[in-house]
Amino acid sequence: MTDQIREQMSALLDGELPPGEVSLLVRRMARDAELKRAFGSYVLAGETLRAPGGRVASRGFAARVAAAIEISEGVVGPVAADEAPVVAPRRWWRPAAATAVAASAALAAVLLVRPDGDSGQQFAQRSGAPAAAPVMTMPVVGGASLTPAQSQRLAGYLVVHGQYASPIGRRNAWSNALATDPGIARVNVENPEAR
Amino acid sequence: MRSAVAAAALLIAALGAPLAEAGDRSAGEWLEQMTRALASLNYDGLFTHTAGNRSETMRIVHRYEDGRSMERLVSLDGSGREIVRTPEEIHFYMPDRRVVLVEQRSDEGSLLRTLPKPGPQLDAVYTLSVQKGTKLLGREVRILDIRPRDDYRYGYRLWLDEKSAMPLRSEVVNGAGVAVEAIHFTRLDVRDRINSRELEPAVDAAGFQWMRAPRRLDARVAAAGDWRPRKMPPGFRLVATRVHPMPNSPMKMTHLVFSDGVATVSVFIEPGNAAGPTPPESTSVGSANAFSTQVSGFVVTAVGEVPQATVRDIATSVAPAEAQPAPAQPPKDH
Amino acid sequence: MHGAGSMTAMANFPPVDGSTEPHEPEDDAARPAAGADQSDLELVRRVQRGERGAFDLLVLKYQHKVVKLVARMLRDPAEAEDVAQEAFVKAYRAIGSFRGDSAFYTWLYRIAVNTARNTMASRQRRPLDYEADLSESEQSAVESRMRHGDTPEAVALSDEIHRTVNDAIGALPEDLRTAIILREVEGLSYEEIAEAMDCPVGTVRSRIFRAREAIDRSLKPLLD
Repeated sequence: MTDQIREQMSALLDGELPPGEVSLLVRRMARDAELKRAFGSYVLAGETLRAPGGRVASRGFAARVAAAIEISEGVVGPVAADEAPVVAPRRWWRPAAATAVAASAALAAVLLVRPDGDSGQQFAQRSGAPAAAPVMTMPVVGGASLTPAQSQRLAGYLVVHGQYASPIGRRNAWSNALATDPGIARVNVENPEAR
Repeated sequence: MRSAVAAAALLIAALGAPLAEAGDRSAGEWLEQMTRALASLNYDGLFTHTAGNRSETMRIVHRYEDGRSMERLVSLDGSGREIVRTPEEIHFYMPDRRVVLVEQRSDEGSLLRTLPKPGPQLDAVYTLSVQKGTKLLGREVRILDIRPRDDYRYGYRLWLDEKSAMPLRSEVVNGAGVAVEAIHFTRLDVRDRINSRELEPAVDAAGFQWMRAPRRLDARVAAAGDWRPRKMPPGFRLVATRVHPMPNSPMKMTHLVFSDGVATVSVFIEPGNAAGPTPPESTSVGSANAFSTQVSGFVVTAVGEVPQATVRDIATSVAPAEAQPAPAQPPKDH
Repeated sequence: MHGAGSMTAMANFPPVDGSTEPHEPEDDAARPAAGADQSDLELVRRVQRGERGAFDLLVLKYQHKVVKLVARMLRDPAEAEDVAQEAFVKAYRAIGSFRGDSAFYTWLYRIAVNTARNTMASRQRRPLDYEADLSESEQSAVESRMRHGDTPEAVALSDEIHRTVNDAIGALPEDLRTAIILREVEGLSYEEIAEAMDCPVGTVRSRIFRAREAIDRSLKPLLD
């Protein structure tokens, strides 16, 4: 019986499992540490065959990635063994009905986090999104990066501003708005050119 | 609201008469031709965008058809964010924040004034030069240098394809000659037409929070609508004024757009917080610098492709209308 | 209309020679069967619908490839796993934007390369030098990393894993050994292997499975 599941796993790794069987198998594997371990073993065998002596991920790497994802999602505490998606609000489990809440356009993002720290709690509560992080106070000496909410604010300005820039300027402004970690440097107000 | 076709015709006409053959074009003519190419060609490309110490791969798709332009810019690694510019709106998808920002698209008229236009006004603040370069992407290129005459603005270096004048590579260069931002195409296809499908976002925005302006704008007061910066670097002119509605406030945010023909600076003015004064704050990403400060209870933010000192000077010089002498030229209102 | 004629006659630019665009490394010889791409896409769809377990499987599947790739690029291979971890987290957060236009691993590969590049650049703390061709500086960086090599522990472990897998393969009956080598090293699909070995597809599937089980029995005590 277990053999049958493990054989399915082997086929899944090769992309040879019928799509209809994938769903159930994935759910089973998500709940079973031993199945995951065996899957990892099959993967390792293949890697070793192809590149003997090559660098491989250490034991527990996949678990560390899973933990890092948990942290990045803001889920704290033990995760239920049953990975049914009712646990914490996962990003893709929000109801499909869009909430067209804000009364303004790109600048709503700007105004969600204002430099005075008024972080638009009203919006946060209505949409169920986590409250915006508190704004850091100035001056901050070199290298401290902005909170996600602050970078969203700057991105909002850049999107609006970019419309009015020359084509090259717009491309730069919007590319910066798109960047995940735009490398925004908080400049010391005392010495603005020091970077 | 002028029709899109008429606006587009105006756009093309403003870009000048037919230009000389590639061989004997002046730098100014190359600049014009590049601007025209960016606005009116259909293209699909991949580029690497580097700002400071970060780089990302992005894709740009641009369509110009029946006098209307549409564009899609998407980050291919990391954020998954994208911007889609439709004929009516701009959609900024942020999957990491599960938010879509929707902005009304500006009419073409005001955008004309921020297009680079060679001539005496440009010459007053920039020097242009062009030289032959080594091949890029297998194409012959000309390198166009736009050098500022002062430290208030950045310089640009543009590698233009000789045939189409499309910039295959562009750098924004600071006073020390160091590139603070660069775009480098690894693939660029100029096409007869672009399929609509290429302009659809890849993000599945179901469940995202859509933020858009209300369709019906009641009469609201513009925050500090007649305030102006008292200090602007030479060559910058006010080219547009806008107002944007704000949540939870009877006032609108004022948005002023200044341009020297190459660089553009936006000044945003919004009501400050009743709880107390806002500390000044500078941010910098690539060639875009922003400076926020509080002036008489309003928060003033200057953002633009100019050095930090410039946005700081501009933002801190914004003052109420009655405190200023009469402006040298009347502002253009929209 | 000026220029309109020449615009429509415009030729496409030839694609760049690949030196600035990330591409698959040479030693990654396993050509995935077409079904593998499909299976990855299935998993991604599930992740997009909220099944986090499906992403765990993708991590398990590509962890070695990504760690190996990142280790080649970094000055200090000891931090390869941290950077690889960051790349996977980035991929998870951006999973909503993956549409299947490319293979999942191609997309993941790009994210990993970029994460590694950004890590290297942020260490150096100065703007990139635009006089040098970007691909050139990256290439020489890769070469110098390889000279430094891996950490001793990592090398010792991978050597032992290699020996164990080799011994286990050597001890297999010929049909099982052939099947798994055709799959993992030659990258053939079950159909192709069935043709090569002149047996039904179901038999191929079973043989590969049994080979993996045998290897696992040897590996398990090593990694526990």
